[in-house]
Amino acid sequence: MEPSMLQMPAIPEIIQLIPLKNYLILSTALFVIGIIGVLTRRNAIVIFMSIELMLNAANLLLIAFSSYKSDPAGQVFVFFIMAVAAAEVAVGLAIIVMIYRNTRTTDVGFLNKLKW
Amino acid sequence: MSASLLILIPLLPLIGFLINGIGFRRVPKGAVGVIGSLAALGSFAVSVAVLSAFKAAGSEPQVVSLFDWITVGNLNIPFSFQIDQLSLLMLMIVTGVGSLIHIYSIGYMKHDEGFGKFFAFLNLFLFFMLLLVMGSNYVIMFIGWEGVGLCSYLLIGFWNTNTNYNNAARKAFIMNRIGDLGFLLGIFTIIATFGSVEYTEVFSQATGLSIGDPVVVTITLLLFVGAMGKSAQIPLFTWLPDAMAGPTPVSALIHAATMVTAGIYMVIRSNVLYSLAPFTLEVISIVGIATVLLAASIGLLQNDIKKVLAYSTVSQLGYMFVALGVMAYSASMFHVITHAFFKALLFLGAGSVIHAMSDEQDIRSMGGLRKKLPITFLTFLIGTIAIAGIPPFAGFFSKDEILAHAYEHNKLLWALGVLGSLMTSFYMFRLLFLTFFGQFRGTHEQEHHLHESPAAMTIPLVILAIFSAVGGFMGVPEALGGTHQLAEFMSPLYEGARQVNPEAFAATTLSHSEEFMLMGISVAAALIAAIAAYVMYVSRNSVPAPDTAERSSLERLVYNKYYVDELYNGVFVKPIAGLSNLLYSFGEFFIDLIVLGTGRLVKGVSGQLRQTQTGSVGYYIFAMVVGIVAILFWNLLIR
Amino acid sequence: MYPIILLSVLGIVVLFLGFMKSKNILLPATLLFLALALGSNFIDWNQGPLLYFYGMFSVTNLTLAFNAIVLISAFLIVAMTRGFQDDEEAQPAEYYGIMLFSLVGAIMIIGYEHLIIFFVGIEILSVAMYILTGSDKRNLRSNEASLKYFLMGAFATGIMLFGIALLYGATGAFSLTGIRGFVSTAAGAQSYILYAGLLLLLIGMLFKVSAAPFHFWTPDVYDGAPSIFTTFMSTIVKTAGFAAIFRLLSHSFAGIYDFWYITLAVITVLTLFVGNVVAVYQDSFKRMMAYSSISHAGYLLIALTALTAQTERSILFYSMAYSVATISAFGVLMLIAKEKSLDGRPNESYDAFNGLAKQNPLLAFVLTVSMLSLAGIPLTAGFWGKFFVFSSAADRGLIWMLVVAVLMSAVGIYYYFRVVIASYMKEGNTGKIRVAPFYQIVLVAATVITILFGLAPGFFEQLL
Repeated sequence: MEPSMLQMPAIPEIIQLIPLKNYLILSTALFVIGIIGVLTRRNAIVIFMSIELMLNAANLLLIAFSSYKSDPAGQVFVFFIMAVAAAEVAVGLAIIVMIYRNTRTTDVGFLNKLKW
Repeated sequence: MSASLLILIPLLPLIGFLINGIGFRRVPKGAVGVIGSLAALGSFAVSVAVLSAFKAAGSEPQVVSLFDWITVGNLNIPFSFQIDQLSLLMLMIVTGVGSLIHIYSIGYMKHDEGFGKFFAFLNLFLFFMLLLVMGSNYVIMFIGWEGVGLCSYLLIGFWNTNTNYNNAARKAFIMNRIGDLGFLLGIFTIIATFGSVEYTEVFSQATGLSIGDPVVVTITLLLFVGAMGKSAQIPLFTWLPDAMAGPTPVSALIHAATMVTAGIYMVIRSNVLYSLAPFTLEVISIVGIATVLLAASIGLLQNDIKKVLAYSTVSQLGYMFVALGVMAYSASMFHVITHAFFKALLFLGAGSVIHAMSDEQDIRSMGGLRKKLPITFLTFLIGTIAIAGIPPFAGFFSKDEILAHAYEHNKLLWALGVLGSLMTSFYMFRLLFLTFFGQFRGTHEQEHHLHESPAAMTIPLVILAIFSAVGGFMGVPEALGGTHQLAEFMSPLYEGARQVNPEAFAATTLSHSEEFMLMGISVAAALIAAIAAYVMYVSRNSVPAPDTAERSSLERLVYNKYYVDELYNGVFVKPIAGLSNLLYSFGEFFIDLIVLGTGRLVKGVSGQLRQTQTGSVGYYIFAMVVGIVAILFWNLLIR
Repeated sequence: MYPIILLSVLGIVVLFLGFMKSKNILLPATLLFLALALGSNFIDWNQGPLLYFYGMFSVTNLTLAFNAIVLISAFLIVAMTRGFQDDEEAQPAEYYGIMLFSLVGAIMIIGYEHLIIFFVGIEILSVAMYILTGSDKRNLRSNEASLKYFLMGAFATGIMLFGIALLYGATGAFSLTGIRGFVSTAAGAQSYILYAGLLLLLIGMLFKVSAAPFHFWTPDVYDGAPSIFTTFMSTIVKTAGFAAIFRLLSHSFAGIYDFWYITLAVITVLTLFVGNVVAVYQDSFKRMMAYSSISHAGYLLIALTALTAQTERSILFYSMAYSVATISAFGVLMLIAKEKSLDGRPNESYDAFNGLAKQNPLLAFVLTVSMLSLAGIPLTAGFWGKFFVFSSAADRGLIWMLVVAVLMSAVGIYYYFRVVIASYMKEGNTGKIRVAPFYQIVLVAATVITILFGLAPGFFEQLL
């Protein structure tokens, strides 16, 4: 069955109290905060947390659009993103742990053996 | 004409290459040369058969399609050969002269350890050259074009232990690449304009265009850039003299008789396009005549026997381009043919001399060789007379035709051409006299070693000498009571061009008496130069000063007995020598500076640019964010 | 579709095979599984365009051909992995398993019809690559490469997701046809949210195929990763990535070509420039190959920018030529780097190749053919790849881009020939290198393919 054929009920009034534009602004702000976090932090784990913030900004946006369009596809996508992000966290933390074991630091500033 | 016969022509050298190339350690040395030469001779025999079949069938041009090669969208590129007057003439030159040079190489390269490799490369070269001239579209031509460039690169660097040789090979490669870029862009412009690369298709569409169409001018200019690289025209000529680092048969085959004329072949092939682009033709004739003069004047004072011949080749190629520039396509082809004979002869003769002199190439250490090397001397003499343009030898007819066409087009062009011919005659006779006349100036050991070359080397010399002597009779002008067989033979090639630009192909307006006058002047110029060379290098016995000579002015006063010599020196020799040196350094220094400078620039930019790869993740992401912001900003706000 | 299912299952089987005492069965088993996947790929051959998984995944002959290239490349690469077993630390079963899983991701993004499939596919591919990059656990260079790749890759994923979210907001659809439906309306052609979404998604994808200015990870990651996985990344990820970008642009956004092509053209030129020019300065062959892969991304981008009817075939041919040549080049590199290793580290500089031809004519020949092909010299497959790509640009009238590309390919010849010159003309003391028969077959096969398709590119067309 086509996923989009599952119709959701019309938008709950409570959601309509907040215009779609505000969701857009909020998630863009979150996204930009995430980017700034990535740019300004040197600790690999904090950078990674900032990236998660970016992903969640996208999730929020998807859900907002999904509700306003009364289409569950966007919410399904969010589940996929969460699942994939979890897998990514597992691998990412493993890599960071591996680096920490070898160098006793998680500061990305020290990672510059490979260059030019 | 059967396709199976035609395919033999390029296939035989390819087979030769595979046998010698793959098994070059296993094939016995005696067999290597035989296999290589047989491959060339075989394809020569097939070419002759094809030529006679072509004539018997009424000289109808035809495209023989072998198989469908590639189709990209609407663009269909078949693998097919075009057999017409032009490709047949080129075939005869390439396989004929090629075979002779293969045979010659058996003798010349006998003692080289890379004997097998050498023949393999030589055969591979023939294969690509044959593709180049036989293909029926620009893509096959380009493949041949790149292939011969690659072989030339391999063969120049053949003795690759010497870094100088390697540099020469690399220079040839870079300069050819610059030309190839132009050619490639030209092909893509042709695709974009005509939607095809097949000659017949492109040219029949082109006849619908008007003269001076900017697209055609662009295409022809781009193609000409390719021709400049391959045929060593200003400013891309300095690779050719350097290419003399390769073995002498290579110089004769690739850098005199065949590959360097590929540019001329391409222009004649595209004559419809060129006839539509008068501006390009002007450019071609200017570049051509400038090359004639520049290279000839540099040749005046070179002391390396091969270098003289190399500059001479550049300058003769210039003549061919002058002819193309004035739309005398047949005259240009005529000169290609005669030049192939006498320049191959001269190079092989030079090779014979070098062989006898134990690899000495400096003419200041030679002299008096005519008694020791009688056959080489005689054939070399014939070659010299032919290139100098003294009747009735081959060079006279072809060069004279070019000059007559130039005269019709523009008197200044003609005058400069005659000046070039004067210089040609001078440097060639200077070379001849210094090498073969006077006293031997080399070491005792060399003198002891002097010997005439083996028959494998002298027979090709003799054959080429015969052709250099009588080859001109295929194009005796009407004024001398002949019929111009070559021009008649080639005339169907210009059907399309005649249609688009009828004025250019109108009958000559020159009267016979005018033609006689032109001939008289150019012959007189050649003879005067020859006599001047005789006076300087035989009667006065002067030998160019060694590079290291440093004489004080006092000393010079004592040594120079004749005041007249001083005057002569001051008024005539010094300025020319100065000019020659200046032009030489222009060529060698300035142009190389640009070419190598470009290389260095790329390297410099590279060095700077790689600093951006700092190794820091934060920086990388920052650069990414800058990129993203710039893209979003530009697309969403500015546009 | 069949290879997706098969590879997912067989990947797990390989992991279980790892529990067996004898590790020697892993390589033949993996090769067998890859061959099975390749065979199953052709079940759908000539069945016409098919849709699977509720219309979320599409199969055509061309996507099958892309799958075949990816699978054959993987087969050749896996066949060169002998030696895993010798290393006590290594976990061969896991590497083989991860490689098989990553192929699932590659095949998903080749044929996606819905952005969920695309997203999941590209993440499977990327996460697998993060792991493989860092697989040399004790090597700091490998660690560093892995972390860099991971952080930047995750960042790019974030960008891409935000783009997808915006696209969804603008069009209300995740499927390519749904998006196209919206784009073709008057409102769609003017929607800024759509524009922003497209650009962000495109940037995320361009990051994966290392287009400038999103290429910075490439040299470091390719350099630091074990060579065998570098080969894997530079062939399979690139082929699949370009198939995916092409799919997005041609199926959904062809209607607003005028909007995106300028951006893409600028990125193309920048990529060509950075890739070719910086490659000139490298001393390490491996790092040069990394920059070279950036430059080849540039050539492929030309085809995308032109977006003619021929683009998919051009990309297909080009990826094939590029993959095969890259595999044989890295194959030779791995042998030599090991032979000439300094203090236990593989030596990947140009100097390691000096005098290679004397004792190892076959290796030198393989290397030469692959360099000629990468440089685009006629009668190799690489020449035709470039030719097709360039002629599609000529079709579109993108002459200025063509000029840049042709100039840059001339620069390319310089650095590709350096290694050929080193192996034939420089003095060196390379002894006879012993090459395992499996390995030798891979090298010869890759070379034969390169020459075969160089002589008869039409043959390739006929295969389709």
